[in-house]
Amino acid sequence: MIEFKDVSKRYPTGQIALYNVNLTIQRGEMAFITGHSGAGKSTLLKLIALLERPNHGKVMIDGFNLEQLKRHKIPAFRRGIGVIFQDHHLLSDRTVFDNIALPLMISGMQLYDIKRRIHAALDKVNLLGKENEFPMMLSAGEKQRVGIARAVVNKPSIILADEPTGNLDPALAHDIMHTFKQFNDLGATVIVASHDQLLIESMKKRIIVLQKVQGA
Amino acid sequence: MSSSNTQTQANTPIFSRFGQHRIAFKHSLKQLWLTPLSTWITLAAIAIALSLPAGLHLLLQNLKTLTDDKREIPTISLFLKQDVTVQQARDRAELLSDLNEIDNVLLVTREDALEQFKQLTGFAETLETLNENPLPHVLVITPHMQLVGDPGIDLEKLARQLELYSDVDVVQMDIEWVQRLLAIFRIADRAVLVISALLALTVLLVIGNTIRLNIENRKEEIEVSQLIGATNAYIRRPFLYGGVWYGLFGGILSLVIVHTSLLFLVGPVNQLARLYGSNFTITGLDVKATLFILIVSSALGLLGALLAVGKHLRQNTIT
Repeated sequence: MIEFKDVSKRYPTGQIALYNVNLTIQRGEMAFITGHSGAGKSTLLKLIALLERPNHGKVMIDGFNLEQLKRHKIPAFRRGIGVIFQDHHLLSDRTVFDNIALPLMISGMQLYDIKRRIHAALDKVNLLGKENEFPMMLSAGEKQRVGIARAVVNKPSIILADEPTGNLDPALAHDIMHTFKQFNDLGATVIVASHDQLLIESMKKRIIVLQKVQGA
Repeated sequence: MSSSNTQTQANTPIFSRFGQHRIAFKHSLKQLWLTPLSTWITLAAIAIALSLPAGLHLLLQNLKTLTDDKREIPTISLFLKQDVTVQQARDRAELLSDLNEIDNVLLVTREDALEQFKQLTGFAETLETLNENPLPHVLVITPHMQLVGDPGIDLEKLARQLELYSDVDVVQMDIEWVQRLLAIFRIADRAVLVISALLALTVLLVIGNTIRLNIENRKEEIEVSQLIGATNAYIRRPFLYGGVWYGLFGGILSLVIVHTSLLFLVGPVNQLARLYGSNFTITGLDVKATLFILIVSSALGLLGALLAVGKHLRQNTIT
């Protein structure tokens, strides 16, 4: 269970991204975070992945306050979360295989298991046969699916996606959302930040609307 | 977190960590191979910086062997009084050889001395005209070499002590030149040490800067790795291997430079030594010195990389 208790986040520039947010997302739930640009959707996801820290309030996962997590335990915590970024964050000089293998190598997995897991992940995102291609040879949708494969290959319990369909056409965007739903069906908690109202309403899942902080 | 991920963590230790080391080991070597020009330039800079102190050390070691030449051992000559008999001279030699400061005492009797004098000077016929042998018995004393090289030991004092014996007429020191030479060696040793320290710092900076550039080139990879849960140790590892490779290969190249230069000098030096009737030959670095250079150069590489990657991680850690 993910809980936000009176969470506020102000960036060093003075911009208030979140103000007094209270919310609970149950384990195994799929939820969409929406709101206008600058409403704090990405910040909310970053707080869950410990890529940012709140200035006030508590972010708790399964009852554990992330603020109390020791610095040296942060990498292990992050390995339990799959994050999909809007701009993919793929390494351009690595093949699809190497990009997806990265979290597994970081986890210290053996090559045989890495191959097996990558094959399964590529199968799930319909990219089998693209293992040896470089990101620049892929379409935007394929790059996003590689990003998804990399995020899920370690079988995380929480999947966070920040505007994963931002640059995709509606059909492809729907496919991507359907892929997330499949991961949710397998038991993962999935939180997707998106401003595409039509798309997220079509998914018939919980929608959390963030309002932009006045004067931020 | 998820049970599967917990399993992954549990399986991580020794075997997997060995696997991560293997990957970092191969990856760091591959990086050197993929950028041959910059790799060779860096290695050349390191090798030149290391070969200078290594070469100077080698030169000093070879010069020091000059004092090991048995014919060049410094001595103190004790000229005994004319009335001292051969037996008394032998007794004195035996007593002196028991002193801690003295390594060896050689008795040259007046008969032997006269014979040598005849042979060396060619005055044999003139000497035949003398009624008696004018030469005294001589004790040729060899002090311990470590005493000669120790500035704390006053050989003048030893000479004064020897003069106090009633049967000693004159004490002649044949040792000052060695003392001066060893004093010069001591200065040269320190100069080599200072030069070595400065050039080691240069190597450290060269490797540190090279690793810093490697980090800049792989900034994106480091950032992505941090986002998906890489530890600082995981990120640091390939750069540390890279630093060790630069140090080790630079050290090997410096040994090649030093020994190639040595081969270039062997012929003329041997020729010069022969002209002086010496058996002196240049020798290369021994196994101990070779290993020392390789270990120090590798350690410098490791330290340079550690400083560069440590600085980057301190400034760029996410949260």
